[in-house]
Amino acid sequence: MAQTEPGPQHLPRTRHKLKGWAVGWNRVGHQTEFYAKTIRSIADALINYRVEILGQIAQMGLGAGALAVIGGTVGVVGFLTMSTGALTAVQGYNSLAGIGVEALQGFTAAYIITRVIAPLIAGIALAATIGAGATAQLGAMRISDEIDALEVMSIRSVTYLASTRVISGIIVVIPLYCVAVLVAYLSGRFATTYIYGQSTGVYDHYFNTFLNPKDLIWSYFQVIAMAIVVMLVHTYYGYHAAGGPAGVGEATGRAVRTSLIVLAVVTLFVALAIYGQSGAFNLSG
Amino acid sequence: MEGSTRVGTRERARAILSSEGVAAKPVRGVGSFLAMALDTFALMFKPPFAWREFLLVTWFVARVSILPTLLLSIPFVVLATFIINILIMEFGAADFSGSATALASVTQIGPIVTVLVVAGAGATAMCADLGARTIREELDAMRVLGINPIQALVVPRVLAATLVALMLESLVSGAGLAGGFFFSVFIQHVTPGAFAAGLPLLVGLPELIIALIKASLFGLAAGLIACFKGISVGGGPAGVGIAVNETVVYSFVALFLINLLATAVGVKATM
Repeated sequence: MAQTEPGPQHLPRTRHKLKGWAVGWNRVGHQTEFYAKTIRSIADALINYRVEILGQIAQMGLGAGALAVIGGTVGVVGFLTMSTGALTAVQGYNSLAGIGVEALQGFTAAYIITRVIAPLIAGIALAATIGAGATAQLGAMRISDEIDALEVMSIRSVTYLASTRVISGIIVVIPLYCVAVLVAYLSGRFATTYIYGQSTGVYDHYFNTFLNPKDLIWSYFQVIAMAIVVMLVHTYYGYHAAGGPAGVGEATGRAVRTSLIVLAVVTLFVALAIYGQSGAFNLSG
Repeated sequence: MEGSTRVGTRERARAILSSEGVAAKPVRGVGSFLAMALDTFALMFKPPFAWREFLLVTWFVARVSILPTLLLSIPFVVLATFIINILIMEFGAADFSGSATALASVTQIGPIVTVLVVAGAGATAMCADLGARTIREELDAMRVLGINPIQALVVPRVLAATLVALMLESLVSGAGLAGGFFFSVFIQHVTPGAFAAGLPLLVGLPELIIALIKASLFGLAAGLIACFKGISVGGGPAGVGIAVNETVVYSFVALFLINLLATAVGVKATM
């Protein structure tokens, strides 16, 4: 593209704007390509990089550095779901008490915690802990040229770094979500029965009647979908970090921002797909 | 033999408990965080106030947060409206979907989305920026020039985060109500008039004021955590990334705790 004459450009402002759009559009394509490559290499990672997967699982489950001080990933996820479980009790109990049906708080907990709160909060905690950690780690590797060094040693870097993290994210999220759901249920029950003084029999009756095991299983699928998306987004931003120490921090921030938005959208669409218009829900049995 | 082991144990215990030791590390972190917070509050009222920095940072934080706020609050409210509408349609009370949407979006989703955006977008960007300055030793240079970095950089940032969080809360509530309206009316076929009439049924001025106070508290806490992590970065390139990661985790934890306590207090106050 040899531009010979530097004469006046036609519509410089429009051209500038279009160029900006083209860059954005190309970035979408670039990301999609990376995601496709990562997902395609999952089989390869399972065959060739099993040791790395185990290492990642250990690191993600227990957390590294400062995270380990406050209980690792399990501690953070447990704490966030505990506080939201109690929050459901505080807000739900008082709103229901306003219309005199606070006995139904057990039902509210079984319904709302299972369908929305537990998967969403677990996903958010996942993005903040494991996801942001992966971006920071990969970004530091990228700007100290370690990823290029991997390529030189003929290690397939996308497979070795991104696919292994996606696999271990999926594996780690399963026990993590068990903890999250149990903690949310228990803290909701504790807040309602001990703090607001509802009798445990009433709470348990409505809770057990309306706790739908099928919903719980679907929420597992929701969380696994989230884990895949979070790990893909965060490895992308870490793998493509640039611009020195500040770049790693910026990439981490941008990855968190993107993955939070993607999480909300994924939750919405998965919920719409699972529960549909009618909601697969029968109050009268 | 016996004596030497006892000395060894005692030395090890002293090493663990000493200021350099493992056990003291988190405590020292909390201590220096509190010290910085106190410095910030004290210097907030001491002239000169860094107006230019305050405006620039406010603009910067607002710019990185507005789009994520809109993109987050709409799916959140639509999800909540969807789940709640299923429930109240079962009761045959679809006309009240407006009050349920208002309750969900003003009292809970508003603050939660503000938390996520302030911590995930605003605080990370601030921490990355300050961390990069710390790594490049700009803060030390300021100290050499006789400028207190807490007064020049931290105070305007903390105030900017508070102000932006306050404004975001109103944006989230507005966007949430609009999203809930469109979803209820056009997809779930609720009567628009009934939806609008139901809006102020459960949510009034006290709830709105509490939501705004909550949002300001979030902004304050997230700003303090981000600045603390930013100015105490160490360890080169990897350090900034780790600091940003810690900012996200710590501010989520702190903000969820504040949300729980503020909701409990607020519910008691408005009853």
